[in-house]
Amino acid sequence: MLAHIIQTLPQVIVDGLTLGVVYAVVAIGYTMVYGILELINFAHGEIFMSGAFIGTTVLLILSSVGFLSSVPAILAFIIIIVIASLATGFLGMGIERVAYRPLRSAPKLITLITAIGVSFLLQDIVRFIAELKTGNYIVSAPSLFNDKIHLKTSAILPQFGDALFKSSFLVVLIVAIIMLVALDFFVNRTKWGMAMRAVAQDRETASLMSINVNKVISVTFFVGSALGGATGVLFMIQYGTIDPYIGFILGIKAFTAAVLGGIGNIRGAMVGGLLIGFLEMFAAANLSTLTHGAFGAEYKDIFAFAILIAVLIFKPEGLFGKAVVEKV
Amino acid sequence: MRKLVDLFSQNKKAQLLLFIVYVAVTSLSLILAQQSVVAFLLLLFSILLLYFLKLNTKAKWIIGLLIVAVLIPFSASQGQAYESYMDVATLVGIYCAMALGLNIVVGFAGLLDLGFIAFFAVGAYTYGIFASAQASKFLHFGHFPLSGESFWIFILIGGIVAAIFGILLGIPVLRVKGDYLAIVTLGFGEIIRIIFNNLDHPINITNGSMGIASIAPPKIFGIVIANASQFYYVALAILLVVIYIVTRLEHSKIGRAWKAIRDNEIAGQAMGIPLVKTKLTAFAIGASFSGMMGVVFAAKQTYVDATSFTLLESTTVLVMVLLGGMGSVPGVILGAAVVTILNLQVLTEVSNWLNQLNTNGVISVPDALSPAKMQRFIFGLLLILFALYRPKGLIPAKNQKYDANKLKKSTTKSMYVEPQVSNDKKASGGSEI
Amino acid sequence: MNVLEVTDLTKKFGGLYANTNINMSIKKNSITAVIGPNGAGKTTFFNMITAVYKPTSGDILLNGKSLVGLKPHQVTKFGIARTFQNIRLFHDLTVLDNVLVGMHHHLKSNWVGALFQMPRTRHAEDNAKKEAYQLLEYVGLADLLNESAGNLSYGAQRRLEIARAIAAKPKVLLLDEPAAGMNPKETKKLTDLIHDMRSKLDITIVLIEHDMKLVMEISDYIYVLDHGEEIASGKPDDIRNNPRVIEAYLGKGAVANG
Ligand SMILES: Nc1ncnc2c1ncn2[C@@H]1O[C@H](COP(=O)(O)OP(=O)(O)O)[C@@H](O)[C@H]1O
Ligand SMILES: [Mg+2]
Repeated sequence: MLAHIIQTLPQVIVDGLTLGVVYAVVAIGYTMVYGILELINFAHGEIFMSGAFIGTTVLLILSSVGFLSSVPAILAFIIIIVIASLATGFLGMGIERVAYRPLRSAPKLITLITAIGVSFLLQDIVRFIAELKTGNYIVSAPSLFNDKIHLKTSAILPQFGDALFKSSFLVVLIVAIIMLVALDFFVNRTKWGMAMRAVAQDRETASLMSINVNKVISVTFFVGSALGGATGVLFMIQYGTIDPYIGFILGIKAFTAAVLGGIGNIRGAMVGGLLIGFLEMFAAANLSTLTHGAFGAEYKDIFAFAILIAVLIFKPEGLFGKAVVEKV
Repeated sequence: MRKLVDLFSQNKKAQLLLFIVYVAVTSLSLILAQQSVVAFLLLLFSILLLYFLKLNTKAKWIIGLLIVAVLIPFSASQGQAYESYMDVATLVGIYCAMALGLNIVVGFAGLLDLGFIAFFAVGAYTYGIFASAQASKFLHFGHFPLSGESFWIFILIGGIVAAIFGILLGIPVLRVKGDYLAIVTLGFGEIIRIIFNNLDHPINITNGSMGIASIAPPKIFGIVIANASQFYYVALAILLVVIYIVTRLEHSKIGRAWKAIRDNEIAGQAMGIPLVKTKLTAFAIGASFSGMMGVVFAAKQTYVDATSFTLLESTTVLVMVLLGGMGSVPGVILGAAVVTILNLQVLTEVSNWLNQLNTNGVISVPDALSPAKMQRFIFGLLLILFALYRPKGLIPAKNQKYDANKLKKSTTKSMYVEPQVSNDKKASGGSEI
Repeated sequence: MNVLEVTDLTKKFGGLYANTNINMSIKKNSITAVIGPNGAGKTTFFNMITAVYKPTSGDILLNGKSLVGLKPHQVTKFGIARTFQNIRLFHDLTVLDNVLVGMHHHLKSNWVGALFQMPRTRHAEDNAKKEAYQLLEYVGLADLLNESAGNLSYGAQRRLEIARAIAAKPKVLLLDEPAAGMNPKETKKLTDLIHDMRSKLDITIVLIEHDMKLVMEISDYIYVLDHGEEIASGKPDDIRNNPRVIEAYLGKGAVANG
């Protein structure tokens, strides 16, 4: 049993890292919005999904005009991801403006219901467009980075198996890390980032200090959604096939990552995402061996959920969050 | 014109007369034109009209019961579409009961449960497993399937099992921030589906994705209840019990406590309400209603598999509650009826009609736009629009009014004698500031 | 005899000491005022007594029994009820229902009884409603019994909060700035009400208040907080002339100048 675990470990690390960074970036979107509005933005998973579809659309258009064959793949990729993240950024901002802002003083319950409504609406609009254009709502994107890379990890330790991955893995990893670092810089070092943290801490005081709260919230939604949309593109590049419902389960897992890291805490969300990604891939690879075949990889989705419950029981403020006492 | 309307809204007799005419006309048209779905729906609509009539509550209940239990089945029974009408009516009953259960959680206690259908699944599987040969695959004692007579007991058992699931889920979650409940229940709905879909190994409990077939239909006094026209009465009876329970609870101590913590958690606790216990009761009772209706559903379909329990179903019930009016019992019943009929009748009818137009070449509507497929779009839009523009729903919740005279005529001696400070009558309204 | 005894009560929020070693002894059937500038830690003190906040250290004794570690609803059951500085009514419930919720812990009615309409439950509910109505008459809100609490005027909401709190039949009643936002006429009525409650309901009252006229007129004893510390305590006349109190309220210069 142990031998199997060790043997698959390099592959688990590679796959877990890929999935982990995807969760991490999406989790940041949840955590930023929660930090500033105390709202679980259910539509964030769908923003991610929309990003994947917008990216695919651009990719298909580029390839139909013959652009793809004439430029290096990486350039095409940059164009795609920039367009997709701008589009989803504005989408997220628009959603906040239309659906959440009018309800800012309404009971939380109502806003949460709206968020669920938005997420359903987005799913179906995307399904509708995809089905109209391609006849099927499951869409396969042509692959950009397809070279197989064989990592001879067995050379490091004889017990290790080799890890195999597509070159897209490197792209996903590098881009995601760039986004994480850039965001960290944005939040901690820029004027807008500072304003964002101020509003998250105390909206009233922030507005007294002549911070334009509405604008800050808009920017938060833009940044969080743009990151989510860009991650959708990464997902599409890595996994090839997408459908309008990919955002739902992924959204729950990313939210779990945010809670695990301490909701509202951006670095926490990054760590939480990576942890959940690893754990899921570890479960997928070893669950069957560990339970002697009783439970297989089909239960891997349950892991994130079990973690969510466990965190809520034992450490509701998350790994890096501070327990705050509500002011009465 | 305005005067006329005012006059009419005051005049009991005129209202009653017009109502009788309406009911007579619609039921007659249903008898004569059996194919007419419109006549059937208009007849159902009479219940809503009845609700707004200026009659006393008892009379309304009697008339309503007559229409629902006698007139509708009779009028619909004159043609071939009988069973399909009764099928729709049965499902309306089932969904009404479910929506009333969710209303306790969302409407009264203010907790957002997005995995409500998971408890429905628990109930459905509880009956499905034991009322079919499935149980004998993992239990090596007892004789399975249990007969359809066990159905009546299983309504209770299904409710209890679902409540236990609800409590197990609620204990960790309800201790922490309220809005986490939304995402946890969302996840739970999905997890239950995955588990039921895969639990054919290592032990075959749910038969996995094959589902459980040949579930025994209910039996009473040796009569097997197999078709929709009979099931209709089962659903109706259960719905009546549910309405009774919900209204009793709403106006009891626990109902007030639910609404109190919904309005202000901190003040509720400060007034002596145990927060977690009170939330948990709402959550568990809501879950048990869902579980009970799951049992009914399994017995009605005689087949269950995991595909009937998706997030779309949970959201459908939520739409019913929001559309009708959170916390409003008549509202939620209306919401459940409207959404069920929209789902089962209107969307499919419109889709069929569009299909026909398509095949006749009149217009061409792409298949992707077929209304039957647009449920998510429609429900999503309804949720947003109602939350933004009519958060109290079609029939907003009303508070029970107390009769001051009855409360005054108290024989018990007041401990607060001579209200010394409230002599100043005018100030008691407190219109200052 | 002391009903409420607080010893070395301290509350820390991160690095901020909101309360530092507060000691109080509150006599049965007395009216005690807790005063101090904004942010002095008065509400925090109430929040610890009612278990909304957990004390960092120190003890709270009600008739000799410690309340530390209890849940808020248990504290209510033990005999402490309160109102809130920023009014917290059940705004969608009727005025009478608000008072009925106040009776939650002693109302003998459970859901089984409610479902089957058992005579005992009905009887308890009927009596509770009558009593709630009397309470509304007592605070002068009887005419508004079926109004939603959220629709009441400010002054009426404050009085409803008091009615709701005494519905819990507390031994000690905590009032957090009950006169805030009231005009002089309303304040006068409130003063009468507080006096009347003490004499008729066998209740001990602790109140936080900024209206010095009201405080001086009504209190048997006064505690003064500033920056989380107890800077003075005594009878109204002692407090009135205490230089440290004047300094806390008016700033350092005030004592020197005046
Ligand atoms: N839940 C809390 N978290 C952090 N700080 C708090 C909290 N509650 C109160 N404080 C702080 O404690 C201090 C005292 O507040 P408070 O007790 O409300 O003062 P007062 O009622 O005397 O005006 C203030 O500085 C306030 O900001
Ligand atoms: Mg205060």
